[in-house]
Amino acid sequence: MTVVAVEAWVEAPLRRFVEDARTVLALLLHPSGQVVAQSGFARAIDVMSACALAAAIHASAGELGRQLEGRPFRGLHHAGRDRQLYLAEAPTARGPFLVLTVFDQESSLGLVRMYFDEFSRNLAAAAPPPPRNAEPVLAQQFEQDLNKNLATLFRRG
Amino acid sequence: MSLVNYATREITCKIVYYGPGRSGKTTNLHYIYGQVPDDRKGKMVSLATQTDRTLFFDFLPLDLGTISGFTTKFQLYTVPGQVYYQTTRKLVLQGADGVVFVADSQARQLEENIESFQDLHANLAEQGIDARAVPLVIQYNKQDLPKDLILTTAELNDALNFRGVPEFGADALHGPGVFETLRSISELVLKRLSSPAK
Amino acid sequence: MSSPFAAILQTLTRQRGVRASLIVDQNDGIVVDSNLQIGQDGDRVAALAASLYRKARLSAAAARLGRASFMHLEAERGRICAAGHNDLVLVVVADPAANIGLIRVEMMRAVGALP
Repeated sequence: MTVVAVEAWVEAPLRRFVEDARTVLALLLHPSGQVVAQSGFARAIDVMSACALAAAIHASAGELGRQLEGRPFRGLHHAGRDRQLYLAEAPTARGPFLVLTVFDQESSLGLVRMYFDEFSRNLAAAAPPPPRNAEPVLAQQFEQDLNKNLATLFRRG
Repeated sequence: MSLVNYATREITCKIVYYGPGRSGKTTNLHYIYGQVPDDRKGKMVSLATQTDRTLFFDFLPLDLGTISGFTTKFQLYTVPGQVYYQTTRKLVLQGADGVVFVADSQARQLEENIESFQDLHANLAEQGIDARAVPLVIQYNKQDLPKDLILTTAELNDALNFRGVPEFGADALHGPGVFETLRSISELVLKRLSSPAK
Repeated sequence: MSSPFAAILQTLTRQRGVRASLIVDQNDGIVVDSNLQIGQDGDRVAALAASLYRKARLSAAAARLGRASFMHLEAERGRICAAGHNDLVLVVVADPAANIGLIRVEMMRAVGALP
């Protein structure tokens, strides 16, 4: 199963988790909803929708947990007819990451949870220290590209 | 915080459309969705009530194309405007790289606009964020309504725009001002990535 | 309040050489009840044993051998035995020198008592 990652250091831990837990789909994302890595998705933009929903579910469940028992819930499980979903947080020195896992009868909740714990440890061990100073990313005169692309987007070219 | 991948040369930014209930936040996204080609947008996700009021958020991923050699993706969110969705507004606002405040130009909605604007600043402060550091654009929507029902953009500016941020009159239902608003917030958000870190 | 399976698990764990006994949901691999020694990771055993038992069941069916009734895995430092009934699997972890025949008899008796 191919793993596509935005940040290279997450690739190996996620690939191992996907293989061990036999997931159908896996997403690694920031709690704000931005994708970090994925496995099993077809379109990049569908990944973004899935991330937004996963982040929202996690944020809601976390807030509910805090209101009910003073701390967020550890993990969330949904059982569908043919597939199941497990959503949980993995803490690292680079901040927490969310993992959304979809699995079918090739795996089980117990296996996914067990391998998720291993993955969480592996991810934390692989995380590099946070960057200290952010360099400028875009050219100073990026506006030309932006305006041209927006005009194309809105068919005002 | 904008996500930048130097290896794949990708940037992802989160923009939140904020404002009181029924000001036109969702309408902005619907209009954008209707205008953008299929290959440059993802599915629009709308978590709404049966009467089409935003329950949690609307979400629209856009591919802005290549800017300075980086593939640039924007994630547009709206928040639910009704007062009792305070908690979910806070959750959606987390991690925002820029905010579009959509105000309702109707004179009778002025108090709601002010309260919502204050709510935005309070939520940012609660997250430990200096609101002055967050790219912000104000849109005065529903400028197409009869003149005796609405305030002018100058009057709304006096009431709301104490920061002097970019502001645009708009009619989100039919389009005027939507594109200009999006361009402005995109510029402000991306400008942060073209400046040396402080 | 003790579970309805406590007595079954206690009987099994009293067998010489048995280190742990668990009842596991076959589909989820989640522990329903367990009798473990301190420091044992019941969740891990449950998840892996349930997965193995399910695969064994499917293999037996695919080979046209009928319904799988008992599974025994022998490893360097111990054995895992599993026997299922409906959605539940009875799992026993035992020493290498444990009397597997006696354990099997007790497990099959216990499985008969599962709902």
